[in-house]
Amino acid sequence: MRNENKLLRFINQNLVLLGIIVLVTVTAVIQPKFLMTRNLTNILRQMTSLAFVALGMTFVIIGGFIDLSVVGMVSLVSVITASLINPIGQVGALLCGLLAGALLGYLNGTILTKFGATIQAEVLFITYGMSSVFIAVGLLVTNAETLRIARSTRPYDMFTAIGSGSFLGIPISILIFAVILAIMYFFQTRTLAGRSISLMGGNKTAAYLCGFNINRTMQMVYTINGLMSAFGSIVLMSRVTTATATLGTGYEANAILCVVVGGTTLAGGKGNVLRTLLGVFLITLLSNCMNLLGLSTYMQTVMNGAVLVTAIWLDNRKRL
Amino acid sequence: MSMTSVLNKVWKSLSRQKAVLAILALVTLMLFFDTNFFTPYNWLDMLRSTSIIEIIGFGVTVVVICGACDLSVGGTMSIGGILAIMLVNANYPFWLAFLAGILSGALVGLVNGFLVVHQKTEPFIITLGMGMLLKGVAQQLTNASPLSSRNMEFMKISNQQFFGIPSLVVYMAVLLVAFFCLLRFTGYGRNCYAIGGNYEVAKNSGINVIRTKWIAFVISGSTAALAGVLLASRMNTGSSIYGDTTGMLVNCGIVIGGTSFAGGIGGIYESFIGLFVIQLISNSMGMLGIGGYSQQLIRGIIIVLIIGMDCYARKRKREAV
Repeated sequence: MRNENKLLRFINQNLVLLGIIVLVTVTAVIQPKFLMTRNLTNILRQMTSLAFVALGMTFVIIGGFIDLSVVGMVSLVSVITASLINPIGQVGALLCGLLAGALLGYLNGTILTKFGATIQAEVLFITYGMSSVFIAVGLLVTNAETLRIARSTRPYDMFTAIGSGSFLGIPISILIFAVILAIMYFFQTRTLAGRSISLMGGNKTAAYLCGFNINRTMQMVYTINGLMSAFGSIVLMSRVTTATATLGTGYEANAILCVVVGGTTLAGGKGNVLRTLLGVFLITLLSNCMNLLGLSTYMQTVMNGAVLVTAIWLDNRKRL
Repeated sequence: MSMTSVLNKVWKSLSRQKAVLAILALVTLMLFFDTNFFTPYNWLDMLRSTSIIEIIGFGVTVVVICGACDLSVGGTMSIGGILAIMLVNANYPFWLAFLAGILSGALVGLVNGFLVVHQKTEPFIITLGMGMLLKGVAQQLTNASPLSSRNMEFMKISNQQFFGIPSLVVYMAVLLVAFFCLLRFTGYGRNCYAIGGNYEVAKNSGINVIRTKWIAFVISGSTAALAGVLLASRMNTGSSIYGDTTGMLVNCGIVIGGTSFAGGIGGIYESFIGLFVIQLISNSMGMLGIGGYSQQLIRGIIIVLIIGMDCYARKRKREAV
């Protein structure tokens, strides 16, 4: 009896892991192509850009907020980076892209703190407006045209390497992600600034009374999110070798989906960057498996929505 | 009463009505340009174009007053329209298609209500996910291409005129009055305000909070689907892309009007004005020859500013206490 309870609790706590195992088994049995190395590397490559964005989003959600502007940030950063390759070279373009992402995130944070947005609803709509602004700027800059990296006259081999190169058989983008993830994990669990994010998400008033500068923490969270979106944007742009002002479409919902599925509660305060990685893995696997099983892309949208709704529902039931 | 205190009072009521202020500013601005802005035809056309999101907005307002929010209306709208067109094309009578479309919205509202009210989940994110799910369903149903109908009677619903006024404007006016009465003069409407104002107090004073809020979601789903059917009839097509930005736009418009996400504040009239502002902005920008991308930029900035001002006012109030 007691053992059964333990098993049930284990299953309840590791639903995502279980989902991944079931998904992999079912797909591998029906479609053996799934286990080919090429497909598996492909999954890893597809995963990285979303993983970066979801990593940034984890911090925002742990802090008790939400950010819909990642669509705009991913798109605008890709446009900035791609259009800067010719004038200042690839290294400069890459750095400028990352800097632009951090600045856009900082702008978000500053606007939110200046207006004093504290509840999720206000944050949601303001970041939605910002997203619309970012996309519009991208559209105005590019005139809605697609920028191709391969058309640039200066060398662009760094982007090719990020997009399709591998080191010792492991995609370079994954290696970059692993390094960033390690830094972010250390930051979240071992530094005062990282811990203050959880504190702010758990109870703002308590954090304020403890002497933390809430506004500064909020700006920091959004800056991190902007920087991570920039990483995601550059990885995505290198993989598809084009940049458009709508490159990031769907990333906001998918990133939130990954974070929530990973087990970070939307109420804030609780969560873990490593668990988000599991969420990203599940969502990417889901779309890959559905592709292999021959289901339409439209059904994948349905599935993503259903997973999002169910995940939040289950998470909520746990707390009740 | 002295002159200054009267002016003070006028200024106070105006600053509470930011949307009216925005309309006044825009209309004044347009006086300086030689356009067709001030023709009766343009204003009637604006009313007609805005009627679809107004109708959605009326339903969503009830939900927002209850202290929640509904972002799934975009998906609900496209599903309603697509379903109606499919039924009409399958040779069902047009009124049956009309009803079935609305019913699909009510069903979505029922599910939303169950998740948000009964299971106490965060409405913003749940309805966002629901909208995503519904968009996928709409794409699956139509194979992501527009679906047109061959039924003339169905087409006539939104494309006729009553005494020279487009039928969509008439429907909108009727619903405006109906929702105004619902919120102002019925027990249900008062309960909605009570729940939005303070959930616990409303519960303890004997209001069936769960049922009231649940019904609000059903109302919002139904009006969204109704708007979808009307739009499908107007365009004579059902498409999965119609509702892409609607959910966000409608909810923004409601807040611009002065109905607060905190719940318990606002009304149908405020929402009407707020949603009309959005239409007015895009119409006047179009008249001035501003391109589509610049329009998107300006609209984004305006949304950030107006909602930010709303937050700022509440922040000031908190700090004053």
